[in-house]
Amino acid sequence: MIRADHLVKTFIRNEKKNRKSEIRAVDDISLTVKEGEIVGILGPNGAGKTTLLRMMSRLMRPTSGQVSIRIGEEEMTDEIEIKRHIGYLSNNTKLYGRLSARELLQMLGTIYGIPEQTVEERIGQIGRILSMDGFLDNRIEKLSTGQTQRASIARCLVHDPQVYIFDEPTLGLDIISSAAIIDFMKQERERGKTVLYSTHYMEEAEYLCDRIVMIHHGRIISEGTPAQLKEETKKDSLRDIFSGLVLSADGEEEQPGKRGGSER
Amino acid sequence: MNRKIIRTLVKKEMLDVLRDKKTVIMMLVVPIILYPLIFVGVMQLMAFISSSMETQNYRIAVDAQDGDAFLQKLLERGETQRADTNDEQAEAAEGSGVGEAESESLYEITIIEAAAVSDYEAALNEETIDVYVLGRMQDGRMQYDAYYLNSVANSEYAAGIVMEAFDDLRADMTRQRIQAAGLNVHEILEPIGYEKENLASSEQSLGSIMGAVLPFMLIISLLMGTMYPAIDTTAGERERGTLETILTLPVTNRQLIVSKFITVAVIGMISALLNILSMGGIAVYMYEIMELQTDMGSFDMTKFVPAILVCMLSIFAFSLFISAVTMCVTSFAKSYKEANNYITPLMLVVMFVGYIGFIPNLELTQAMAMLPVANICLLIKNMLVFKVNYGIIAVVLVSNIAYAVVAILFLSKIYDSEAILFSEQKGGLQLFEKRSNLHKGGVPTVSDVWFVVAVTILLVLYVGSLLQMKYGLAGVLGTQLILLLVPLALVLYTKKDIRLTYGFAGTNAAGFLGGALLISGLYPVNIVLAGWLTRLFPESAGHVETAFSGILGDNVWAAFLVIALAPAVCEEMLFRGLILHSLKARYKAVWAIAVTAALFGAYHMSLVKFIPTGLLGLALCYVVWRTGSIYPAMLMHFLNNACSVIAAYFPEQVGRIFPVFLQDTVTFSDGMLLLGAGLVLAGVSGVLLKRCRKSV
Repeated sequence: MIRADHLVKTFIRNEKKNRKSEIRAVDDISLTVKEGEIVGILGPNGAGKTTLLRMMSRLMRPTSGQVSIRIGEEEMTDEIEIKRHIGYLSNNTKLYGRLSARELLQMLGTIYGIPEQTVEERIGQIGRILSMDGFLDNRIEKLSTGQTQRASIARCLVHDPQVYIFDEPTLGLDIISSAAIIDFMKQERERGKTVLYSTHYMEEAEYLCDRIVMIHHGRIISEGTPAQLKEETKKDSLRDIFSGLVLSADGEEEQPGKRGGSER
Repeated sequence: MNRKIIRTLVKKEMLDVLRDKKTVIMMLVVPIILYPLIFVGVMQLMAFISSSMETQNYRIAVDAQDGDAFLQKLLERGETQRADTNDEQAEAAEGSGVGEAESESLYEITIIEAAAVSDYEAALNEETIDVYVLGRMQDGRMQYDAYYLNSVANSEYAAGIVMEAFDDLRADMTRQRIQAAGLNVHEILEPIGYEKENLASSEQSLGSIMGAVLPFMLIISLLMGTMYPAIDTTAGERERGTLETILTLPVTNRQLIVSKFITVAVIGMISALLNILSMGGIAVYMYEIMELQTDMGSFDMTKFVPAILVCMLSIFAFSLFISAVTMCVTSFAKSYKEANNYITPLMLVVMFVGYIGFIPNLELTQAMAMLPVANICLLIKNMLVFKVNYGIIAVVLVSNIAYAVVAILFLSKIYDSEAILFSEQKGGLQLFEKRSNLHKGGVPTVSDVWFVVAVTILLVLYVGSLLQMKYGLAGVLGTQLILLLVPLALVLYTKKDIRLTYGFAGTNAAGFLGGALLISGLYPVNIVLAGWLTRLFPESAGHVETAFSGILGDNVWAAFLVIALAPAVCEEMLFRGLILHSLKARYKAVWAIAVTAALFGAYHMSLVKFIPTGLLGLALCYVVWRTGSIYPAMLMHFLNNACSVIAAYFPEQVGRIFPVFLQDTVTFSDGMLLLGAGLVLAGVSGVLLKRCRKSV
């Protein structure tokens, strides 16, 4: 289980000469994802999705608030401990082009403190699951886009983490590749893993997610199962619900100084 | 676990760097193939140039009354040289008077009628003639003038031949006239015999030649060897987008930096060793050639074993140092290009300091042994001429390693991969941001301050000490101005708030009084401490003593201005102003004060002075922190230094009032008395400072 308590991230940005403004990219978000659950984060560009996911995987220090992970009875808040149990994937996590996928996985295994024997076994398994056998020993810079994406996923799997955090994992992939990723997430849910991911694809979210969290300007504007959301808003497509919520939130929120930041 | 992670990271970095073509080219191709090629090429070129000079036809115009004797000598030169190739011994036996050992010169000489040259200057410039000789009777003897152009290689060479011909002529005529007077030629021309003999062993001679080249090459090759991996593992990692991937791993900043540092240092060492091997190969090749041609004497290579060992250790220590330094620079770059820009000035600085090692007669003293880069140059140079001092060797090696460790620990502390990756505005170097993007107000960021402090200290080290050596007291003033102006430029450039940064704020009388009492309590305590430390480190103390008395002039008021007033303003503004306030903005006050005080102690660059000046720094920081104003600290600093000036200029008067101050060593009872008095004064001042109004 992963939990975010009142996470806030502010960036200081210079808008015009001599005027600095504080941007609350994530503005007091609390969120819990349980074992065996897939939660989808939806939101327009610049809503704070990436910042939220980065903070939850502890890549980024929250300005305030706390992230914790619970495995069994053990609760962890230490940055390094949390990282040990998370598999994080985004379009910005590039791989070492001059290493082969196998070398990369071996190295990561050692860093995660997994015994060598186990690492080798797991590399075999992962190679089979993601059908990477043909290119495990090629340099990553020589791989195709789809192969690279599979190597990236393999990177998140090597330590068999309890929690997956994926930032737009299917962005720009063809139907077959993204179907593979979706299947993978479903599989991991069956294994009792915790999955938190962000996407722009409504149909995908509706099909996959147990719960959907919509965020806008760094705040949660709505949250619930797809069915609950439909019932509340009396709309039957997630797409309509989403655009309706975003538009009404924009209408309400005219307070100055509380604008969401862009992705970075 | 920690070690395992670092080992894995190092392995990854190594693979990553070594699989890059650019590194391999820098590491292998340049030293192993390019250097020898360049060397052989240069040798060939030189041989070609010198042989072409020797086979030239030189045109010499002679306009001389009665110049036949000279013409004949000139032609003889050309001809005899040609004859030499056939019969060298004959010429030597004949003995032309001047001990010419010219080998197989093959030049020809063409004499041109003076009448054919109307304007010799123009002819020389047009290079239709190489030398113009004008001979006239003057005061009863012939005066020859040879005109040539030293800007034209042929003309200069020909002028040399002409001068040799004159030498021949003069020697001949001298001999004839002595004989004509019926005297013994040998006795007149050589009334005494003399010769100089080189007693240096052939190893020493070789060592001194190598000492002139080897250290510098070593430093450059290490710098080149570390530069590329340093950029690749830091800025390169960020640019390729793998830094974010690394951040997802359970790895701390320190593990990351240390593993990158190890990688860079190891690659630097390997490339330096390859360089040395390649140069060594060239040297052996040269030696073989020279041995064939000349008699150089034999070398006992075993004598160089200690030098080679120390050389290896130096490579080790210096590669740590230079890797740490380059990484400190490249870690903050966001891209390859930016890192390259940062590296260039660093390279120039390193090369410049490396040149210091080549100043003749520069001794490797204790102080020099602490000066990075120059110390390595001097050490290797000394080892090669068999000047060995184990203490100094240790100081050089240890200081290099210590600088590296400090730099890396420091880097891992301030290197914030997160901030660098997601470019958080908090902290970070603002110095290289576009100025219009910086906002007004606040205090400088810690990174900016460290950068500027490093630059300032370097300037003080090199420029400041030069100024002091040259101009004495005025030079000290120059040093103080560097301390003041360089950081001030940063504050102004980054548009910071001067009042906040420097603590220009008012306080009440209690603040000043408290400060004054504190310093009058601390001064005797420091005297006692200095006395004890002097006994512990007599060498270092002697160094301080001579350095201090060396700059004092005759004018007391000038000394007051430069030694008491200027530091009270300039040093305070840097340490208790800029450094303390920017540290305080980021860290807890205790740490800010401790670091500032330690830095102030270290800035005095002496073992003996570190503790007393560190304590002084502590007191000054404390007062600034309590009162919120820098002015009491300025007053305290002034009082403190003024006491030293008075003690230096009026030793007798001071000695009459406080005999303790002038004794070299402080007795235990006197020491306790002074300590007690100091503590009481400090206690009173503490109470006063607690009651002072803290300005906001």
